[in-house]
Amino acid sequence: MIVPFAHVLIFAAILFVMGLGCVLARRNLIMILIGVEIMLNAAAVALVGGSAHWRQVDGQVFVVFLMAMTSAEVAISLAMVVYLRRRRGTLEADKFDGLRG
Amino acid sequence: MTAATTLPQFPWLSLLIGLPLAGALLCLLHRRSRQECRWLALATTLATLAICIGLFVACRHGDGPWLLREDAAWIPRFGIRYTLGLDGLSLLLTLLTAGLHVVAVLLAWPEQRRLPQFLALLLVLESGLMGVFLAVDLVLFYLFWEVMLLPMLFLIGIWGGENRRRAAVRFFLYTLAGSLAMLVAMIALYLLHGAQSGSYSFALADLLQTRLPLTQEYLLFGGFMLAFAIKAPLVPFHTWQPDALSEAPANGAVDVTGLLLKTGIYGMIRFAFPLFPNATRDALPLLAALALVGLFHAAWSAYRQDDVKRILAYSSISHLGLVLLGLAAWNTTAWQGSVLLMVTHGIVTGALFAVVAMLRSRTGTRNLNELGGLWGAAPQLSACFLFFALASLGLPGLANFAGEILVLLGTFRSQPLWALLALPGLVFTAAYLLRLVQGTLWGPAPAARAAIPDLTVREWLVLLPLIVLTVWLGLAPAPLLAPLAAVGGLP
Amino acid sequence: MNQTLLFLIPLLPLACAVANMLFGMRLPRLFAETLAVCGVAASFLLTVLFWSYADGDGTRAVLGTWLAAGEATIPFALQFDALSAPMTLMVTGVATLIHLYAVGYMHEEEDYARFFGLLNLFVFAMLAIVLADNLLVLFLGWEGVGLCSYGLIGFWYQKTGNARAGTKAFLVTRVGDVFLAAALLWLFALTGTLSIGAINAQAAGFAPAVLTGLTVLLLLGACGKSAQLPLMTWLADAMAGPTPVSALIHAATMVTAGVYLLCRLFPLVSLSPAGMAAIAVVGAVTALYAATCALAQREIKRVLAYSTMSQVGYMFLAVGAGSVAGAMAHLLTHAFFKAALFMAAGCIIHLAGDENDILRMGGLARRGPRQLFLVFLAGALCLAGAPLTGGFFSKDAILLAAYTQGTPLFLLLWGAGLLTALLTALYTFRLVYLVFAGEPRGYSHLHDLPQLMRWPLWPLALLGLLGGLLNLPALVGGGEWLRHRLGALAGREIAATHGTEWALAGLATGLVLLGWGAARWRYARFRGEWDNPGSRFLLHGWGADAAVDLLVVRPFTAIAGLCALGIDRALVDATLDGLARQTTACGERLRRLTSGHVSTYLAGFIWGFLIILGWFLLALVR
Repeated sequence: MIVPFAHVLIFAAILFVMGLGCVLARRNLIMILIGVEIMLNAAAVALVGGSAHWRQVDGQVFVVFLMAMTSAEVAISLAMVVYLRRRRGTLEADKFDGLRG
Repeated sequence: MTAATTLPQFPWLSLLIGLPLAGALLCLLHRRSRQECRWLALATTLATLAICIGLFVACRHGDGPWLLREDAAWIPRFGIRYTLGLDGLSLLLTLLTAGLHVVAVLLAWPEQRRLPQFLALLLVLESGLMGVFLAVDLVLFYLFWEVMLLPMLFLIGIWGGENRRRAAVRFFLYTLAGSLAMLVAMIALYLLHGAQSGSYSFALADLLQTRLPLTQEYLLFGGFMLAFAIKAPLVPFHTWQPDALSEAPANGAVDVTGLLLKTGIYGMIRFAFPLFPNATRDALPLLAALALVGLFHAAWSAYRQDDVKRILAYSSISHLGLVLLGLAAWNTTAWQGSVLLMVTHGIVTGALFAVVAMLRSRTGTRNLNELGGLWGAAPQLSACFLFFALASLGLPGLANFAGEILVLLGTFRSQPLWALLALPGLVFTAAYLLRLVQGTLWGPAPAARAAIPDLTVREWLVLLPLIVLTVWLGLAPAPLLAPLAAVGGLP
Repeated sequence: MNQTLLFLIPLLPLACAVANMLFGMRLPRLFAETLAVCGVAASFLLTVLFWSYADGDGTRAVLGTWLAAGEATIPFALQFDALSAPMTLMVTGVATLIHLYAVGYMHEEEDYARFFGLLNLFVFAMLAIVLADNLLVLFLGWEGVGLCSYGLIGFWYQKTGNARAGTKAFLVTRVGDVFLAAALLWLFALTGTLSIGAINAQAAGFAPAVLTGLTVLLLLGACGKSAQLPLMTWLADAMAGPTPVSALIHAATMVTAGVYLLCRLFPLVSLSPAGMAAIAVVGAVTALYAATCALAQREIKRVLAYSTMSQVGYMFLAVGAGSVAGAMAHLLTHAFFKAALFMAAGCIIHLAGDENDILRMGGLARRGPRQLFLVFLAGALCLAGAPLTGGFFSKDAILLAAYTQGTPLFLLLWGAGLLTALLTALYTFRLVYLVFAGEPRGYSHLHDLPQLMRWPLWPLALLGLLGGLLNLPALVGGGEWLRHRLGALAGREIAATHGTEWALAGLATGLVLLGWGAARWRYARFRGEWDNPGSRFLLHGWGADAAVDLLVVRPFTAIAGLCALGIDRALVDATLDGLARQTTACGERLRRLTSGHVSTYLAGFIWGFLIILGWFLLALVR
């Protein structure tokens, strides 16, 4: 493999932390969703890297699953975002506290 | 299965548990027709009672520790078996349970709200109580112990009086706390026994063989006794009981609530005392002290209550104090007197609660200050009330006296001081009961009260058998005492 | 004849009582009344019929087992012997006459079935006491009479006071019952049986201290039922009941149950000199106390109630002095004349239009029916102990018994008895003068008296007058029939010279005359009644009720309040509620963490993740 496995893992970790930062720092629901996507992609990168490293197909199978799942998740969550925006007129995450104890 | 009699081979004991359960299911299935439900429930309870009576007639002369026994593997991995056993003690208590449930169903006849569910819960309760009185495997016992908790919770919480929520929650938390302690002690005993003998088992007969160091015995005894003391109830743990009894729906359930108290005493006799003989022996003085404190504390408290049902609730605690004293005296006469008193108290207090329910449905109040002069309005109802109040205060010739005097005679023989200390209870019991009678029956009738109808035929059907039983057990309790002689593990 | 038939004597009234209680209101009135009277009359006839069964050691009859558990086996058993037979005859006889009287007395009462049912039930319970062969059957009767007394005192329940008087009677006598029950338990522990005969036979083997303890317990038990000090407060209030009830229960029969109990267990009781002295002291003190109270009473029935208490005190004195024959003779005569007096008092109250106050009566000798005056006078003469009446002989025998004991204590008690005799004559003739002499003071016209309220008085008055014949002393040529009849049960032989006897009889006669003279001087012409602190003190029974209220009732109510409110509410419930509140408060604090903000949750999630990660890393480094 051209790229060493360690580099792939480091890249995936950086990507994951960036996504995490996005999720934690941003208050807009869409940005949080984007952060989640980035984190998922980081995981996918790590899986592909592992698959290539050990020459096994499992990792790639997982990635295909992951992509299908992500697209479903995005479809539902974006639909909910649209719905929330229509209903509450805002996408500020902190404005939604219906689960407060 | 060992049947010491000519009884046909049949799982009679399982039938006692299963029949009410089946009745409950049928009630729920037929909840469209209230009338059908009533007859169904009545038929179920009557059939159960008939089986109980049949068992009594057929088995009471059997010898050996168990009159009837059923045993089947259940969860062999943990040594848990489905074991039911019937001896003289459980025979009497199942009879009482079955009888009081017939009364309860008859009393529930006019209930308006969700009658089928009400009846179904009553029947489930009956099934649970039967299980408690019959199970001789600890896990099975615990299962039934909890099963009877739930219907009671709903009966109080849904159909109860104004403060039903509070009463139900309190009842539930109290008893649950107790049963958790028992569960822990049970598992500990199981493990200790397994480590000792090499075979892990929850069967009472096996566990009886366990020999424990005294400290462990004390701890486990304490765990069991906590559960039973709360149910009985012994004095520091008793405050759930007046709430539960006064809030329990008058139409039937309250009679049955009285039965819960007996499970506590039963648990002591069946499990706590035989399993931990050394701890029991050392704890008897403490038990007697608690019994005496309960006897007087409850009698005095009853004197200051204004709610008729609360007076009766405290009177239950007071009477059970005497029952416990008889057990603590550790003497055959006293012990048999205790069991007799437990049964007769169930009948008499059940009847009193029934009469109060009839009273309440007529006058709309249970407050002593708003009642009075009832004799002029409804002499039959009043006469029944007076009759059972007198039975409750231990008038010789009526049911409670027989048990009380046996307890006292026996206790005096082994512990004169305890009996002497208990005697003034006679006066205090009379004091609060006569205050109750004075407040309801005598004096001028309240001006605003509408005319009160006297007893109906259905109500007579409820009370008459109880009156007959009260007199009969007062004059000739020997048939009930006979099967007790063979009960093992006690003085 | 079969011995078990003896059970018919108590069971017939019971059957009639049950029938009356269950169906009385459905039956024609006449039928219910006939049933009640016939039940008791039949018992009376049966007693006469079975009289010979009491000869010798008497007859014992067993019906069946009552209780059997462990070592306790207690049968339903009756004992018909020289002691119980005369008592049975008296109870059934007096009860029959009083039932007849009651038919007249209650002829306007609506709730007659309850009345006659309870009255019959009372006769049953009383007979159970009298005939009991073991102490538990006696206890059954003992509590039964208490119950009937309760129900009948409060018979007119619409008035709260009446029902309260009944409750008071029940509770005070129940205090006595506790002591009786204690004695019963102790005897069972000692002998393993409750049979009276067996206990009496074994009593000689008990330690002296045990005997004294048992005697004191029995005495206190007897005090409750017999309204002796200190358990006497209920009897005067018990007069709230209908007059036949007062005549039957609170004069003739139930209040003498205590005396009967002590006589029944006399072989045991007599073994303890200290116990005997205690009995005599209680009797003499009560006799004196009640006589002083009777001096100042204004209600006719209360005067009689206190006189009953006083006369029962004499009977206790007799038992204490060792003379069962004297006690029984006085018991029987007293039953006759006191029942007659009460029934006559009922007639007087009826005539005067439900007037109870003797200060508002007067003039009934001339205005009222002649025969009523005669009957009342006969009863009063007996009560005062006028020479040659039944009361004279029986009271004299008691004083003689006390005198011949000879110890200083008994001489003192004898003195108290003499003083009581003087006071008795005084209050009796005060009553007679206030009711019968002079002019009417309170009522305007006389009501009609039903026939049935008149003639049952005659036999009783005559029996009272002739009661001396029961146990006529040898002094006047009598044969002391009752003492011989009782045989071994009669107690101590009273030995006194004829000179002493004559002197004592003369003294008694003098006292009666003195009392009569004083009453005549003060009350022959009505001059108003004293109303000063002294008389009020006596009127209120030496303030006994107030003392009981202060020393017993209020502390009890306070303790009860402490239990119900202090311990249950304030201590146990508050502790539990506190626990519940603490738990809720914890939850409340934790609740803040759930803000509902997604960002907070995520931050928490990340921090938790980092901590776990760090922990694993640390573990890895190690």
